[in-house]
Parts: sequence; structure tokens; C-alpha cells
Amino acid sequence: MTTLRATRRKGILFLAILLSLAIVAAGCSQDSGDDTTTTTAATETTVATETTEAMAAAPAPFDAPPVKIAVVQNSGAGDYFQQWSSGAKLQADAIGIEYTWYDAQADNAKQATDMETAIGSGVVGIIVDHGQTDTMCPLINDALAAGIPVVIYDIAVQECAPDAVQTQQSDASLANLSLSQMLQDIGADQNVGYVNVLGIAPLDRRHVVWEEYVDQSPWSQEFFVGEFTNAVATDNAQLVDAALKANPDVRAIFAPYDELTKGTVSAIYENNLEETVWAYGIDISNADIEVMTADGSPWKATATTDPNAIGAAVMRTMALELAGEQTNRLVDFPGVLVTQAFLLDNAITNMVELRSAMPELNLAEVQSADWIPSVEF
Amino acid sequence: MSNKTTAKEAGTLTAKHSIDARDLLVKYGFIAVTVLFFVYFAATIPAFRQSSTMFSMLKFTSVVGIAGLGLTMTMVVGGLDLSVGATAGMAVTVAAMTMVIYAQQGWVAIVAVVIAGALIGAFNALLIVILKIPDLLATLATMFLIQGLKLVPVDGQSVSSGLILRDGSVAPGKFTSDFLQINRGSLGPVPYPVVIFFVIAVLSWFFLSRTKWGRVMYAIGSNPEAARLAGARVGRYKAVAYMMSGVYASIAGLILASRIGQGDISAGNSLLLDAVAVSLVGTSVLGVNKPNAFGTALGAILIGILLTGTTMMNFPYYWQDVVKGLVLLVALIFSFTLSRRKTRFVAAVPL
Repeated sequence: MTTLRATRRKGILFLAILLSLAIVAAGCSQDSGDDTTTTTAATETTVATETTEAMAAAPAPFDAPPVKIAVVQNSGAGDYFQQWSSGAKLQADAIGIEYTWYDAQADNAKQATDMETAIGSGVVGIIVDHGQTDTMCPLINDALAAGIPVVIYDIAVQECAPDAVQTQQSDASLANLSLSQMLQDIGADQNVGYVNVLGIAPLDRRHVVWEEYVDQSPWSQEFFVGEFTNAVATDNAQLVDAALKANPDVRAIFAPYDELTKGTVSAIYENNLEETVWAYGIDISNADIEVMTADGSPWKATATTDPNAIGAAVMRTMALELAGEQTNRLVDFPGVLVTQAFLLDNAITNMVELRSAMPELNLAEVQSADWIPSVEF
Repeated sequence: MSNKTTAKEAGTLTAKHSIDARDLLVKYGFIAVTVLFFVYFAATIPAFRQSSTMFSMLKFTSVVGIAGLGLTMTMVVGGLDLSVGATAGMAVTVAAMTMVIYAQQGWVAIVAVVIAGALIGAFNALLIVILKIPDLLATLATMFLIQGLKLVPVDGQSVSSGLILRDGSVAPGKFTSDFLQINRGSLGPVPYPVVIFFVIAVLSWFFLSRTKWGRVMYAIGSNPEAARLAGARVGRYKAVAYMMSGVYASIAGLILASRIGQGDISAGNSLLLDAVAVSLVGTSVLGVNKPNAFGTALGAILIGILLTGTTMMNFPYYWQDVVKGLVLLVALIFSFTLSRRKTRFVAAVPL
């Protein structure tokens, strides 16, 4: 009896130890530098990743790799950030940057302590991806004061931390691309509709461009609706549906975020107006391509960037900053225009085909140098 | 921090049992695991060894630890306060409103937040003691209530300086620099949040383990009827436990607010489950097998060590939840499977 129980306990004890060992073992394999997660994520989103050849010898500190940096990310979850992170990691590997990746899982307080840990950890540079200005600014200045260069992606810190390099995808350029196509398609003096949610930084920046177009085209804005919810496309479809019933005579609708555009498109179908009312958006995904290329789709054009390429370009900006070659404090990544006609002419059905048909999405020439091997997607 | 306490606790605990291998494992297994991981990370990751890493890890831990200590109080009297995360989140909004919208000094914000925490605790006590609603259900309702109510006066927006108010004017105040010092300041090399955590942990330990009131609370937790027959005023003790939990959670929220520097509406969202985890992990420390302050504090530190270490090894974020789950599982195995003592976590909740 006693022996039996003792044996059983020993078995359980063994299990407990095994569990602990599993944690340690998993740690070891990650530590060896073979980052399996990155590779998997990359193959999911790209057909083939190529790297351009470095044409010159690397300047200090890249003449003696690895160069250790930290990435302090507000949230790595979701399609966009998975791709962004994957691009950044591939570029880091190509240049010889070794990174510690802090992911606060959208917890702003955790991002603050992550930043403190990163500052004290002996890295030579820090990339901060998203976060709250009030939270991160003092810490970014702490890092700069400690002699650690900081590259920011998409946080407004120019006023409070002017010495950090601020990068962002150019929302103005995205809005311009989509709206200039809309102007070309429908012409001046038209009734137009608008779907947007103000108070969200990138959407606010797109809004500024919209107002310019309405003023100068000139267009007559018949309605302005939009809300940000957990189901943006569905909930906005209802709003646009109501707005279209009241204003069926609009010629086009600008909805500068793809979830808003999808909602707009389904409202246009709902009212059988796809012949006369066209939609213009921003961003693209596999699902969006399907909507845009559907028979008789009213979604005529969108403007976009490739999150993989943006992540890689941010990492190159870090490299340039460390090498002392980054002079500007503000870096805008340009977008590209994707029209329905282009997708149909090239029989493009998904992102992979789009990337190969539009090499400019790669940004390989942006924020690069002859000593930097740029990754392409 | 732990050496003295460990020795004392161990002294009182070992008296009754003869020592064999399993007893040793149950008593010291968890501490050994903590030390092992610490040594392993320190040996393999140079950045982990930095004192600044230690302090930022403890800073990160302090918020979860303080909320967990409050939760421990309610677990001791046989309950569980599910509203701690929401209370901390509300504290962030209250602090931001006091300073940004009403342009008050930092100390006013601190007082307002602590009062709000105590009121939420009192509200929980009202539901549980007077209206006789089971603890879990009452605090679940409170959690939703304050998660929503905290957003009403701010129209669902995060409160930061420059906020446009309902009447179109701009909020006049900002987070004061002395308030920001709660998170950024330090006593010698030790950051204030760590000092606050340490002080609260020691006070809680003293209260629960070394005072008459603490013993009565444990008695109530193991058998409220017997405690009542023995003359304990069960309702009052429960009310005190929930008010302490509310105040602790609001102090955790103060640190969060100071760290974030704005009235972030998502603050405290992840706090509840982490606080429950460290309190449960804490029950297994030293083989006590009941909720206790020392264990909760140590549990919080262990999880802090693991999260910092695995982050520095570039574990993706989802693996960190796996790590937390394994730690909890190992702790539960120590408590339930290996221990000879009868284990008591949360007393029966009539669901």
C-alpha cells in the first residue's frame, strides 16, 4: 500500500520535474539563435524572400556583428503586426543585428517597464513600435540620454523627443494616391460620400487630405458617417446603407481604411448602386482583393503599403542610425496605388501575386545603403 | 527580502512533522524552482544579470503583486475578489480625471483613488455580507459595473492632457510631476513601486500571520459557521477583507497610472488573471497550502523572473502564457498531489 502510493507520487514528481525541464529546454533552443517562429511566419506570408547583395563593406558597428538592439513593441498580435515583425526580423538577420523582442501585448504599462529593461540591458539601439506618447516619451528621452539611439514607428514623439528618429507609413501619400485616382475617375463637381472615424491618428492624417480634395476639386460632400466598433465592416455597412438611401445620387464614396471600404461596398450592393456609386479605399489584404475583383465590384482603387516591407525598412533605419548615416529625424514610407483595373489585367487574386506584380511594394531602395542587404518579399 | 521571513516561517512549520524528502520538496520545492530559474537566467543571459533588469522586473511585478495581496485577503476569508483588475483600471481613470480634468494636485489624486478603492470594497461587502450574494458572483457583477461606469464621465476616451471636453473646452490640467514620481522615483537604487510592494507585503504578512485578526480571518475562511459560534463577527471581517482588496487594487492602479502617464482606458485589463495566478501559486509556497502573503509576493516575483527571462530569450508572447500555465500547474501539483496537508484554496462557493 505504502509502496504503491510512493511509486505513484514518484511518477507525479517526475512529471513535475519534466514540466520544469520542458520550460528550460524550450528556452535553450530559442537561445541558440535559430528563430523558428520568424521563419514560419515569413513563409506564410511570402512566396520567396530574396536579399539584395551588399555592395560595400559595412561601417562600424556592423563590421563586427552581432550588433545587439531591442525592439519594444506595443502589440505583436494580428495580421499586420505579425507581418511587420516578420519583415523586421528577416532584415535584422540579413544585416547582422541581434535583437531582443519585447511584446507588451497591448498593455501600455508593461511596454513602459519593457522599455526600462531594454535601456538597462546593454543594447546599442532601441526600436519602439507603437504605444502612447505620454507613456513612452519620457522613457525614449531616458534612452537617448543614456546614449542609446531610438527609432520610433508610428508614435507622435517629434515634439517631446526630437532626437529620436520617427518613422511612419505616409498616410498623406496613401490618401493622395487613392483620391487622385478618384478625381481622375469621376471628375470635378460631383456629389460624394465620406466614411471615416476621427480621433484615430492615421485616420485623422487621411482626413486632412480628404478635406483638401473636397475643397479643391471641388466636390460636394453629401454625407459623412462612420464608427469604430468590434465589427467595423458590418456596423458601417448599416450606416452607409442609411446614408445611401438618403443620398443615392453620390458618384463616389471615400472610405480610407479597408474595413470601412468593405462595409461601404456591401452597402452599395445592398442598394443596387454598384453601376453608379464607386468606392475608394486604403489598405489591402487577400480578402480585399477578392472584393475588388468580384464581378461588377464598385471598389475601383485602394492605396497600400506592405507591412513586411515597412518592418524591414524600419530595421534598416535603425542600422543607418547606428552607422551614423541617418540625418533626417522624420522618415515617411510611401504607399502605392492599386487599381481594380490593374488587379483584373494581371489576374491577381492574392497578396503574393500582388507583391510579385508590384515590386515597388518592397521598399528595397527606401532607407537602404550600398552596405545594407535589403530583404525583398 | 525573503531570507528572514523564510527562516521564521520554516521554523514554525517544521515543528510538527518529521522531515523526509517529500516534505522537503513540498516545503522548499517552489522556492527551489524560483532560485533555479533565477540562476539559470542569470548564468545564460548577460542582460538579465544587470541590476537595472532586476529592478525593472520587480517594478513590473509590484503591480501584480499588490493586486494579488489584496486578492489573498479575500481568499483567506473564503472568497475571491474578481473586481481587482477593474478596480485598478478605474483607479487609473480616477487619477487622470482628478489631475487632467479637475486640474488638482497629485496628492489629491492619490486620496481620491484610495477612497474610490475603499468604496468599491465596501460595495462588494454590501453585496456579499448584507445581500448574501456569493462572493464570485457579486464581484463579477462589480467588475462589469465599474469597467463600464469608469468610462461614463469620460465618454469612453482615454484621459490625457489636451483632451477635448463635452462642452468643447480643452482639459486644463496634466499629470503632475510629483505624481509621475510614484513610478519613476526611487529610494536609493530601489524604485518606489518596489518599496511600496515590499512594505505592503510585509504589513500583509504581519497582519495575517502575526495578529489575532489574521487568525480569525483564516478561521472564518475554513469554517465560517464555527467561527461565528466561537464569537467572531464574520460579516465585519469579510467586509474588511474586501475593503482591503479594493484599497490594494487602487494602489496598484496608482502605480499603473503613474507609469502610463495618462488615463488609459485599457489599463488593468490583464491584471485580474495574473493576480489570481500569483495568489494561487502562493498557496503552495513553503507547503502552507492556504492563501498567504509571503507566498503571493514570492509567486509574483517568480512569474516576473520567468516573464523577464523568457522575453530576453525572445519567446513569442503566446509562449509566455504557456509558461504561466505551467508554473501554476507545477504549484498546484506541489499543493494538491504531493502535500500531506489538506489543501484549501477558495472555500466552497455555492454556484
